[in-house]
Amino acid sequence: MPPVKIYQEDQIASPMMRVWQNFSANPFALAGLWTIAFLLLLTLFGPMIAPFPPEAQDPRALLLPPSWDPSGTVAHFLGTDDLGRDIFSRLLHDAHLTFGMALLIVITALVTGFIIGSLSGMMRGLKSSILGHLLDALLSIPSLLMAILVVAVMGPGLENVFWAVGIALTPQFVRSIHQSVHEELQKEYVTAARLDGANSLQIFWYVIMPNVWEVVIIQTTLAISAAILDIAALGFLSLGAQAPSPEWGAMVAQGIDNLLTAPWTVTIPGLAILFSVLAINLVGDGLRSALAPIRN
Amino acid sequence: MFRYLLRRLYLFLATSLVMVGVLFYTTGLFPVERSFALTGIHAPTANQLVQIEQDYKLNDNQAWQFFAYLQQRLSGNLGVSVTSNQSVAEELSAVLPASFELAIMAAIIAIGLGVPLGVLASQSQHKLTQNTIMAITLTGYSVPVFWLGLYLSLWFGVDLGWLPISGQLNLLYEIKPITGFMLIDILLSESEYSMSAFKDALLHIVLPATTLAVLPFTVVVRSTRSAMMNVMNQTFIRAAEARGMHTSTIILRHALPNALIPVLKHLGLMLGSFASYAIVVEMIFSWPGVGSWLVSGIYQRDYTVIQGGILAVALLIIFLSILIEVLHTVFNPLSRKDLYAAS
Amino acid sequence: MSWLLVACGPQRLPSGLVYCSEGNPESFNPQLVTSGTTIDATSHQIYSRLIDYDTQSGKLVPALATHWSMSEDGLSYRFVLRENVKFQYSSRFTPSRTFNADDVLFSFNRIIDPQHPYHWVSRTGYPFFQSIGFAKQVKEIKKINDHEVIFYLARQDASFLSNLATDFAVILSAEYAQQQLALGHPENVDHFAIGTGPFTLVQYAKNEYIRYRRNPDFWGEPAKIDMLVFDITPKSTVRLAKLIAGDCSVSALPKAGELPVIKQHHDLIIESQPGLNVAFWAFNTQKPPLDDVRVRRALAYAVDKQNILRAVYQNTAIEATGVLPPASWAYDNNKGLNDYNPQKARDLLKEVGIKNLSIDIWAMPVARAYNPNALKTAELIQSDLANIGVKVNIVSYDWSVFSQRLSRDEYDSVLIGWNADNSDPDNFFTPLLSCSAMQSNNNRSRWCNRQFDAILDRAREVSTQAERKAIYQEAEAFLADQVPMVSLAHAKRVALTRSNVQNMQLTPFGGISFAHTSQAPLEAH
Repeated sequence: MPPVKIYQEDQIASPMMRVWQNFSANPFALAGLWTIAFLLLLTLFGPMIAPFPPEAQDPRALLLPPSWDPSGTVAHFLGTDDLGRDIFSRLLHDAHLTFGMALLIVITALVTGFIIGSLSGMMRGLKSSILGHLLDALLSIPSLLMAILVVAVMGPGLENVFWAVGIALTPQFVRSIHQSVHEELQKEYVTAARLDGANSLQIFWYVIMPNVWEVVIIQTTLAISAAILDIAALGFLSLGAQAPSPEWGAMVAQGIDNLLTAPWTVTIPGLAILFSVLAINLVGDGLRSALAPIRN
Repeated sequence: MFRYLLRRLYLFLATSLVMVGVLFYTTGLFPVERSFALTGIHAPTANQLVQIEQDYKLNDNQAWQFFAYLQQRLSGNLGVSVTSNQSVAEELSAVLPASFELAIMAAIIAIGLGVPLGVLASQSQHKLTQNTIMAITLTGYSVPVFWLGLYLSLWFGVDLGWLPISGQLNLLYEIKPITGFMLIDILLSESEYSMSAFKDALLHIVLPATTLAVLPFTVVVRSTRSAMMNVMNQTFIRAAEARGMHTSTIILRHALPNALIPVLKHLGLMLGSFASYAIVVEMIFSWPGVGSWLVSGIYQRDYTVIQGGILAVALLIIFLSILIEVLHTVFNPLSRKDLYAAS
Repeated sequence: MSWLLVACGPQRLPSGLVYCSEGNPESFNPQLVTSGTTIDATSHQIYSRLIDYDTQSGKLVPALATHWSMSEDGLSYRFVLRENVKFQYSSRFTPSRTFNADDVLFSFNRIIDPQHPYHWVSRTGYPFFQSIGFAKQVKEIKKINDHEVIFYLARQDASFLSNLATDFAVILSAEYAQQQLALGHPENVDHFAIGTGPFTLVQYAKNEYIRYRRNPDFWGEPAKIDMLVFDITPKSTVRLAKLIAGDCSVSALPKAGELPVIKQHHDLIIESQPGLNVAFWAFNTQKPPLDDVRVRRALAYAVDKQNILRAVYQNTAIEATGVLPPASWAYDNNKGLNDYNPQKARDLLKEVGIKNLSIDIWAMPVARAYNPNALKTAELIQSDLANIGVKVNIVSYDWSVFSQRLSRDEYDSVLIGWNADNSDPDNFFTPLLSCSAMQSNNNRSRWCNRQFDAILDRAREVSTQAERKAIYQEAEAFLADQVPMVSLAHAKRVALTRSNVQNMQLTPFGGISFAHTSQAPLEAH
């Protein structure tokens, strides 16, 4: 029941509240948000919930189908792979590998990109132009190619995925922040603030930042989904997480050997990736449409 | 216009130069001997070593080395592949057309299916149609491409047996590579099997092109839809409607050409992910293009192949994105005015 | 538009056979390698040998040599060479003469004479020949006339003829070699190969395919297929999928788990033969703590072989109790040696005083007849060893990188195996565990024991099978005691063919041969 209003004033929601209201009006976006929260929980607590350790091999339970199939068992809820490892447990253990790593990469890229982007956005002249070219050059190397380069230098492994995908994603943040900051600088209220006597830092913090963070949020959601897909693709190609790691992409690669006899070893990790990315994209879409009326 | 083109050319050259610089820098970081990383010659004889030092100025400082590197690469010397002892430039020129073929086919499918669907989504009054299309695009955008490829090969290749799942052509057909594009080469060849081979090649390209087309398809649908919605609200469209023109004529002759311009821009932004997906698709379907060549190169630690591949793909992407930008400006002179603060 | 209608008609394929192979060949000269993939691609296709081994009769049969005889003291062998044998030709080479003794001299002198201009052309050496000490065995090869040669040996060797019948002892063209050396490109002899076999090499596209054409001038019965293509497909699931779809007619090395799927398809046939092979886990006996025999014995007790047989081989292999497989005539059942006993393993390790042992296992990334999945085997062993408190780190690379790094001795232990090259039991011991094998990198255990070598020498000097068998059993007992390696399994050799392929002869050892294979016409897709 809404609070009893004694006065006839309308509550004018702050911009952030308005965004939230728009966002939560969209059921899909809300569903996405719940899924992400769920995934975050899994990332943190997954290993504790999992019934089996990810490397536990049960030689008597090779290639068991999931529990809804007549030959499946409930103990191995989603079936086992060809070494007898429980797929459900491996999925849970990996949530922090794929999802957590993606979050870590994006946050790092965000922070780095933010710093570099804002600095370069506030700059003008030759340095800015050279930085722009460097960024364009890095932007034109797709993340997979960047990963190949990093792997060539450092060898395969999940830690190197961090660098590879990180270096691939940072220029995008830098470029979009750079562009928005640059754009904002042309606006009249910045000139007004400058005439008021604000120094660069104050202008940045109080004037530019609030108008830029929407771009940042949208970019972040895009980046997280890109990061998850990239980490999985690299795991699939064995350039990132190596077997027998339970990383979702690596699980798909390990399952290919059994694609014809036991397709669930490929389906289930793939569905896990699909749902995570879908959730993030739902949230991203929801945010975009929630922010849209304000931006225009 | 001319000054604009000149500026874009300068941008292309500058970015490419930085790209080569980045590659040069990473070449120094490879965990092998410098001469091996640059040329691919495993145990050079004394003569070869002298030649290499001369060519790459290995005894001078970094700046000279960079210029020498640039010169070598520009003159077409990309080194020798460690695993096959053949020139990297030759191998590259053999695999690039195959990737182009795949990419063009995927683009045709994506645009051919995506534009009508996007128009439908923007015109349709039913919430259901709209939502279905948005749901399809969202899923298409989120599905991991390797998983999709595996499943398509499982269903259509193994279970139904309709389509082949690997390679470009049944290996018993011997087709002389003239242009490098398999479909064109088959039509040009004088073999008595050319019709069967053509059909076979078409069958082989369907699955990989469809898998690769999913991402651009979703981008095209979404941006066509939003562009069309924008355009259809414009006054000149209302005027046309008022004059009594058929909706389909309006859409085809007036709205669509204007809507396709932002679609082009979005396609240009998507080039990087498209290239990444192309590499994965090539790996899954064993399509003999740059992607699988490059990934085999990294598995086999073939450093010259890696350099050559990354250089080729990155330069292509830079070129294509600038080309798309130029085309975009040709059709939409407003963007020339730097209102969008591109530095 | 009419061509569209034509395109909708039935599809015609040129006549030929596609074989789904599991990897790139390392070279096109089998003398230079021991890897099965290279042998399959080259030995019986492009080349011929002096003598061949007929698996049906179990005897040596003439190939490029029509007669041979051994001298009374067993120290020299005379070969009479076949006449009118033509070499193949290619865009690089047109032979001006037929096969003669010069080619035999070139092919073998290249291996034994370090001064020969072609000796160092190979980057990898001659591993099989080095491992059997061929250069020390053969003192000299003398040309009597254009069609007769004599091999002079340093010592009696009952396995000499069998070694000449192996896939490695191919005959190259001396004329081609001279021509390429003069042009400054001797490596072409090993890459753009010319031989006298039933198929000519037409083209090799790395990672994709190898194309051969029938050699119409072949000295024996000409091949029944016009074109042979090796479709290089490292993933076994894809090989199977291609087989089902009809893109390949024959496929190599299926994973054991796929056999039930194959049985569902009635147009696919499983050809299997008991294999003359052994999969083993070799310890680098030069690296501590694996140089202590007690540690090795402990690790051997810790491995549950039945588990591996179930999970990796899915019961298409038998447990190995020694190096020799049951298919070998020198085999005897050695059950009881090194059984699965984790408690004993723990006790031994405690006795040696080792805690927190951590070792590497290098696992081959490719499938082989003796082990379809070394990575899985490594994972199983990893879990077995975790039971006795030993931590295992699994290392693997792409095959070309893997074999290079393996030759640098950086490994603690490696999961690999051996396919016999002939029916002689010596082939299981000398190339793998003798001191001369140390130089060729086939001795994965880096193990050189003079006593053991003496046993092997004795076995070669004796001529009756019964006597040799007794000596080889001595060798097995010695190995069971010293444990330079743990033998895991003897696998069946399996190949899959479509039902319209006839005469696909699988031999228990040696490379695959398509010389006699024929194919009924394929129906349209």
